[in-house]
Amino acid sequence: MGDVSNEDIVRIATDFLLNAPPGEFMEVVTDVRALLPNESLLNASALSTFREYNTEQMVQVTSPGNKHQVLISKVGEVSDGEYLDPRGRQVVQYDHIKQEVTGSRPLSGELDADVEPFRAAFDQEASRYVDEHYSPNGATGVYGKKEGGNYVITVCISSSKFNPNNYWNGRWRSIWTATFKPGGQVQLQGSLKVNVHYYEDGNVQLNTQTTRSASVAGNGNAPDLAKEVMKNIIKLEQGLHASLDTSYNTMGDTTFKALRRALPITRAKIDWNKIRTYKLGQEMGK
Amino acid sequence: MTDQLDCALDLMRRLPPAHVEDHLAGLLDLVPDLTEDLLSAVDQPLKIAYDNHAKRDYLLCDYNRDGDSYRSPWSNKYDPPIEDGEGAVPSAALRAIEVQANEVFDIYRDLYFEGGVSSVYCWDLDDGFAAVVLIKKTQDQSKKGQPMKGTWDSIHVVEVKDMKKTGHYKLTSTIMLSIDTETEASGSVNLSGSLTRQEEKDFPVSDASPHVTNIGRMIEEMESKLRMTLEHIYFGKTKEVVATLRNQIGNAELEKRKNLSNQIGSALGGK
Repeated sequence: MGDVSNEDIVRIATDFLLNAPPGEFMEVVTDVRALLPNESLLNASALSTFREYNTEQMVQVTSPGNKHQVLISKVGEVSDGEYLDPRGRQVVQYDHIKQEVTGSRPLSGELDADVEPFRAAFDQEASRYVDEHYSPNGATGVYGKKEGGNYVITVCISSSKFNPNNYWNGRWRSIWTATFKPGGQVQLQGSLKVNVHYYEDGNVQLNTQTTRSASVAGNGNAPDLAKEVMKNIIKLEQGLHASLDTSYNTMGDTTFKALRRALPITRAKIDWNKIRTYKLGQEMGK
Repeated sequence: MTDQLDCALDLMRRLPPAHVEDHLAGLLDLVPDLTEDLLSAVDQPLKIAYDNHAKRDYLLCDYNRDGDSYRSPWSNKYDPPIEDGEGAVPSAALRAIEVQANEVFDIYRDLYFEGGVSSVYCWDLDDGFAAVVLIKKTQDQSKKGQPMKGTWDSIHVVEVKDMKKTGHYKLTSTIMLSIDTETEASGSVNLSGSLTRQEEKDFPVSDASPHVTNIGRMIEEMESKLRMTLEHIYFGKTKEVVATLRNQIGNAELEKRKNLSNQIGSALGGK
């Protein structure tokens, strides 16, 4: 067996970290550290790995000085360790290693003045939707920018619940991107990921991911456009959630039952004194 | 080293079960000194091999492995064959029990699983013996227009302390269950994992109730209980957690329904 290179060790360890279930990142870090031949091997990459994990998960933090939550997301990343809080009109500073907010600063040109009326309208609709369907565990971050002649509004939703005392954790993430020229048709792209981990005397995980796309008629009026696009997003999400529930039912009613019966076809438990006669019975039936 | 093993096992309880083989391979690269411990402690989906002598399938695990060869429970031969004498095999008396156990669990498998593969391997202990009962069943409904695949792996390890007229049985059972579906409507949904339970019991031993019978009863009981728990966790608990993350009905509607049921409640209860 050849020696494993330091590069390989870092790659394996990083892969473990990035696969930590929601709410269990620090536990995985502790485990991985104990398994390294040399703890300092991860020092160089630790910050970028922690940052990748936190932003991929869209970790929720409380907006400094406000009641609403901010998402630590890739879309909202202004610079390394700085995340946009458009509703709070500020930029939040976040320490990825400690996994906490360390401060904030006022905006300095991060919001595009042309796009802002649309972004704000989407923000209002999205916040209402999240209050309605994702409270108390969810939060939304709505971002806007110009890209290649288009306006791009991104609605991020992250909802998580951690219950380690009862050995379970879960997170729902949706990211919806609306691309349009002002007044023109909207191209809507969405991606949805749900992860649930249950680990009392075992390890059971739900992992689901899917994407959706749609076209929505254009509207030059920002609040009207936001309402219309949001209506489509909601319909698509309702559909996805309903399909997930249907999949659950089918998996439980069909595939699971086809794997192992609750009882043999005799509808009774095995008579272990007579079990060899079952075999004779089978052979006679041939 | 126990510390490292504890951390490795804790890690395996957190990483996505759908990729357990990859994760285990990575772990073995990180801590090669723990290879033997990890291979025996970490459950992996069972692999199937074909016994050319007996012309039937058998299952592979650490208990029928000797070096890189595996022993078939049907022909009692190693594949690839082991040079310089034989690989580890049970004593003649124990092999008799092993043959009986394989026969009996073959029937058990047919009754409960209506398909799949089973194998039982025994080995001697100081004051008795131990056995591992393995069952593997896969289901693919992609052909019936329902794009769903499922795999069930049972790993039951029982230690038997032979006390002549009684036997003391310690059972550790792990069921690994994985169900996958991929549809246009729901995208890819994967439910994977395993649950482990332990049980210790004494049973009288006699000609009418030999060890194999006692082990059979205990495993049937345990597996049936685990099946119920799996059903509850996989299709109940995880679905409930999703409902905690996102509320399909919406708070306004929930409030309306709550008010309505309160109204009905007071109308019925009030005079």
